Amino acid sequence: MKQKSWHINRREFVRGGGAALALPFLQGMSWGKAMEKVLPKRMVVSYIAYGVYEPKTKDGSHHDWNWWPCKETGPLTFNQSALPFAPLKDSVSYLKGLEHAGGVGMGGHSSGDVFATGADMTVTEKTNNVSVDQVAAKLNGHQTRYPSLVLGTEGGTGSYGSAKTLSHYGPGRPIPSMHRPQEVFNRLFKPYSGRGVDQVRADLKREASVLDLMLDDSKRLHRRLGKEDQGKVDEYFDSIRALEKRVERTSQWTHQPLPTVDTKGLNLEVSHKDPEEYTRCMYDLLYLAFQTDSTRFATLMLESEHSSGSELWNYANYVLGYKGATHDIAHKRPTESGQWDNWRAKQHAYFLERLRNTPEGDSNMLDQTVVVWGSAHPHASHSTKNYPIQVAGGKALGFKHGNLHSFEGEKKVPLANLFVSMLHAVDAPVKSFADSTGMMNELMT
Amino acid sequence: MSHFTWVRIFFAGVATITFLPIQGLVEAKTESSFKKEVVPFFEEYCIRCHGPEKSKGQISLHTLNGDLSSGHELERWENVLDMLESGEMPPADEVQPNQTDRSVIAHWINRGLRDYINKANKVTVATTTRRLTNFEYQNTMRDLLGFELELVENLPVDPDKPYHFNNNAKMMMIGPDQLVRYKEAARKAMASAIVDPEKPEIHRISSKWGHGKPGKAGLSQAEIGVYQGPGVGRKTVGLKSWPKTGEFRIRVKASGNFPPGFEEVALRLVMGTDLRHDSGSGVYQEVGTVHLTNTSDQPEEFEFRGRIENIPFQRARASRNKIIPPSITITAQNIFDNGELNDHRKSGFDASWSLQAPRVVLESLEFEAPVAEVWPPAHHTRILFKSSLRRAKPEEYAREVIKRFMQRAFRRPVVREEIDQYLRIYKIYDAEFGTLEGAMRETLAMVLVSPQFLYHMTIDDDGTSKQYELASRLSYFLWGSMPDQELFDLAATGKLAEPAVIEAQVRRLLADPRVLDFVENFTTQWLSIAKMKTVNINRDLFPRFLYTVHVGERRGQEQLFRPTIRDYMHEETVGFVGELIRKNASALNIVDSKFAYLNEPLAVHYGVEGVRGLELRSVGIKPEHRLGGLLTQGSVLVGNSTGSAPHPIYRAVWLREAILGDEVKPPPAEVPALSDSAGDSAEEAISIKNLLALHRNNESCRDCHVRLDPWGIPFERYSSIGKYQPLVPKDKVRVRGFNPKQDQTLAGYQAYLKSVYTEEVEASSRVPHGPAVDGMEELKKYLLKDRKDEIVENVLRRLLAYGIGRELTYRDRFEVKKLLMLSEEVGYKLQEMIVSICLSPTFISIENKEE
Repeated sequence: MKQKSWHINRREFVRGGGAALALPFLQGMSWGKAMEKVLPKRMVVSYIAYGVYEPKTKDGSHHDWNWWPCKETGPLTFNQSALPFAPLKDSVSYLKGLEHAGGVGMGGHSSGDVFATGADMTVTEKTNNVSVDQVAAKLNGHQTRYPSLVLGTEGGTGSYGSAKTLSHYGPGRPIPSMHRPQEVFNRLFKPYSGRGVDQVRADLKREASVLDLMLDDSKRLHRRLGKEDQGKVDEYFDSIRALEKRVERTSQWTHQPLPTVDTKGLNLEVSHKDPEEYTRCMYDLLYLAFQTDSTRFATLMLESEHSSGSELWNYANYVLGYKGATHDIAHKRPTESGQWDNWRAKQHAYFLERLRNTPEGDSNMLDQTVVVWGSAHPHASHSTKNYPIQVAGGKALGFKHGNLHSFEGEKKVPLANLFVSMLHAVDAPVKSFADSTGMMNELMT
Repeated sequence: MSHFTWVRIFFAGVATITFLPIQGLVEAKTESSFKKEVVPFFEEYCIRCHGPEKSKGQISLHTLNGDLSSGHELERWENVLDMLESGEMPPADEVQPNQTDRSVIAHWINRGLRDYINKANKVTVATTTRRLTNFEYQNTMRDLLGFELELVENLPVDPDKPYHFNNNAKMMMIGPDQLVRYKEAARKAMASAIVDPEKPEIHRISSKWGHGKPGKAGLSQAEIGVYQGPGVGRKTVGLKSWPKTGEFRIRVKASGNFPPGFEEVALRLVMGTDLRHDSGSGVYQEVGTVHLTNTSDQPEEFEFRGRIENIPFQRARASRNKIIPPSITITAQNIFDNGELNDHRKSGFDASWSLQAPRVVLESLEFEAPVAEVWPPAHHTRILFKSSLRRAKPEEYAREVIKRFMQRAFRRPVVREEIDQYLRIYKIYDAEFGTLEGAMRETLAMVLVSPQFLYHMTIDDDGTSKQYELASRLSYFLWGSMPDQELFDLAATGKLAEPAVIEAQVRRLLADPRVLDFVENFTTQWLSIAKMKTVNINRDLFPRFLYTVHVGERRGQEQLFRPTIRDYMHEETVGFVGELIRKNASALNIVDSKFAYLNEPLAVHYGVEGVRGLELRSVGIKPEHRLGGLLTQGSVLVGNSTGSAPHPIYRAVWLREAILGDEVKPPPAEVPALSDSAGDSAEEAISIKNLLALHRNNESCRDCHVRLDPWGIPFERYSSIGKYQPLVPKDKVRVRGFNPKQDQTLAGYQAYLKSVYTEEVEASSRVPHGPAVDGMEELKKYLLKDRKDEIVENVLRRLLAYGIGRELTYRDRFEVKKLLMLSEEVGYKLQEMIVSICLSPTFISIENKEE
């Protein structure tokens, strides 16, 4: 059984990473003659909080500091706010008029909870539900050392209405996000904590037997619990089972050498006191994870709603010298709002450009990666409709770019349609996702 | 069995004595009286706003069917009941029902609720099974191992929800990622708890400083001047080698040099990387603080202890082709603070005030690790106890070691098959590890990732388990940690559930220093004060509030690496609540009190004279200080301000949530935010009161805000930094910040402020279904006179919810009302209230046992 799944994995792995010749460990593989030229197909969902700035001018022209790059649908032009994306014109699209119906009733700032899930937490579902990255990871995550990477800037899961993560395995199973650069780096690239491979394998083998025993013990325990308590402890069993799978998986991957990573310019001890360096560090780590093909599916909660207990609350102060709380920017009307959006755009463009500037196959990494960037409400009004949404990359996966699309009025479709298209693009051909009604054909070639 | 009966009788007694229905005596023939009494009442007084046409506050009543026994919509019914009983609805400007009608309906709902609850309690019980919070995990590990190891840093951050406790099942979930971290933490813990047999190498270093000739700053070599920014106010000792694990000890010989008028100076030791004031980089752990009052002719020796594992160190790094090895820096700081450190500076580089302020005299510092007076240390022999069994019958010894550890870790006796399980795990490790120590570390680490350790749960629903469950419930409530030996012993004898025993134990737990962990955790979450530390203070408007860096790249930003006024404000609030419990004072002190809990910087900030030193303590206050209770504390006022101005909505929400116990819903989707509702006027300076008025005139905001804003207005005379400030600038006047060139001195700036602060702050408003109140004093008076029950009930609800680890529902209504009456009988004394909570059936959860 184990043997069999390993064979599948290895084949998949070769197919998946075969052509990424930049990867040092692939060059050393001796069994690569059956390599097919299939490049990794990746997906990223990233989130900004407190909405964006959407002012109107009196003369009816497009406001320079509006988050939307231009007014009319069709080919993109870039105003001040979106200027950092101008060099990426052919790789980005903006989608107007989309939202998750499930988030509409959540109010205020809480709809961020369902940005990557589209779950209807207020009516039909009591908890959140599986996120789009995890659907892909479940189907294709075995092709890389880590099925997915879940990053945030505050860490943990957060709670109902103020999530600190975008990713969920399924109902009631949020995945805590990692937010400390050093930790992310160690977990990605130093998983053996200095042990030799043989030692790691021996340890894993022992761990598997111990986990077996732990599971037995838990089952016996289950019988001794009251009915109400059993459900809660099921969380624990699921976790142990997931760990068993992880152990199996890790031992399979010990047969592949760890990637060597260029850490030049990477300051892993950076803190929230320096938002630009911190944010770029998180983007860099995500880039490195992709570049080494350590994972293909990721979420990055760049900002979380309700961040008043964290240094994030002061980001705009550190960045712009703005005297108020970052949240208040959305509710006031100084030019800082536009500058703040512009700052966020710069950071995201930095990441997209890094991907684009890295050759992969006949094109570059960005063409192999579809990236969503946006928020779960527009500015100021606490509305949970008409999310600001930008989609970038994935041109080699079937996406086409360069336009502003509108789905307002009669053209209304669920945001989840975009997610279905993204899943198809990364070889996870689901029939539907959340409240989807079809695909987002406007973006597809 | 017998103990539980005892408690029930005790409680039944209380109930019959004091619980009477509210006035009117209507037969509750449920359905007919619903149609005859309730429906007409709703139609006359409620449906116009809460019906098919309108549903203000997203509440509509026409769909309620009147069958409470079905168990549906009881939250809504309870809501209606609360509104009727408090008089909040119908609103004051609407037609009011007469008192009899009101009571008739209230009684009808009360009756229906009670009938349902009595019936339903026997059927289902909300789960309280949940994992330990990180706070509980850290404390439990400390008490289990016998030393404090930093273990939660790498666990996923616990969820956090304003005004809610995170120790409930909904919040405390577990997933594989969490479990991986638990395992890492457990292995780290066991690596420290069990040592290798051979006595380790001792790492030592010592430094001495002389009194000799003063240097260029005017200080002798041994003197540390007051901390005033880069390079001043500290002395460092570098470590190049240290053990991986173990306790360390630092001995210092120190005293103070006091200019006239000063008699105390604080020396703080921290350890970590080199603290760079210029770039702001550096990580450290506090080792301890001593408040020195001895003069330099009488130096004294002080000892600090800690665990080396907790200390962050500088990693090895490359510099110009050389590798700089890892290091730890011990930093000794003079953290003297009389609230005036900003006032004596003439320029960015000026530290001349150092000579006029008290200095720490540090003559010597010795570091030693690990402390090996006894080897192996006690925490090791507690697990691997000395016994001839170890050689004679290794397996029996291993079993006994595992059993003893498991019993403490699981907080209850363990059964044979559980021990067998871990013995099997032990054998797996034993086969590969050469030593008992090595194998046992791994085995016991697995005990620490078992559900029995990680979860609060009821295993085997029998009398014995109940005893241990109660022991844990008490200790996790009042200590945030596992039970101690005395609680375990009482559980073993089966006597713990006797009311007299519970009461004695509650009082014992409350007298233990570990209660401070409870107070800290409880207060921080209850009052939602953590956000105070990240409010962005407008340093132009409040140039003296924070100590800022005056030179270098971090110029203008807050000084790092020292306790700040906001840290003290947090301690003030936590300490204040702690004092109320310690003194067994009335819970009503949270609204107003005759004392404040202050140190010198806080006292200077609030304008209270005669408080010296950094240690916080109870200080008697007078009316002119305008303090007392929680409402005027910096943590509350700063946390609910914008950093530039007070924020009456935040403060109103705080008052209603934290003090009155209302749940204030966040603004619904599609309503404009405060400043947007004011239209273009938000672009200009406008007084908050006018802004609020504009906001309230907006139809979609008004319904909720007429019941919210008035609670925040009386706070208006307290500024954004929590000071009493009855005068403000005129509308549209912008206040400029402190400007050394223009103002010369701080007095000059204050004169300027006086010239612009000319308008009396308006702080009067009519509170919802209450009178007009002008300012804080009248608000407090009103609260104490007319809202006493709500306030005490809220304290009870918070304590009970925290104690049992779940949110309260309508089902707990009558239990809480009982506790409220008990509280009144004992003059709202907090210790008595906590005792009665711990005696209540909800806490002991005996109602689960009834058939």
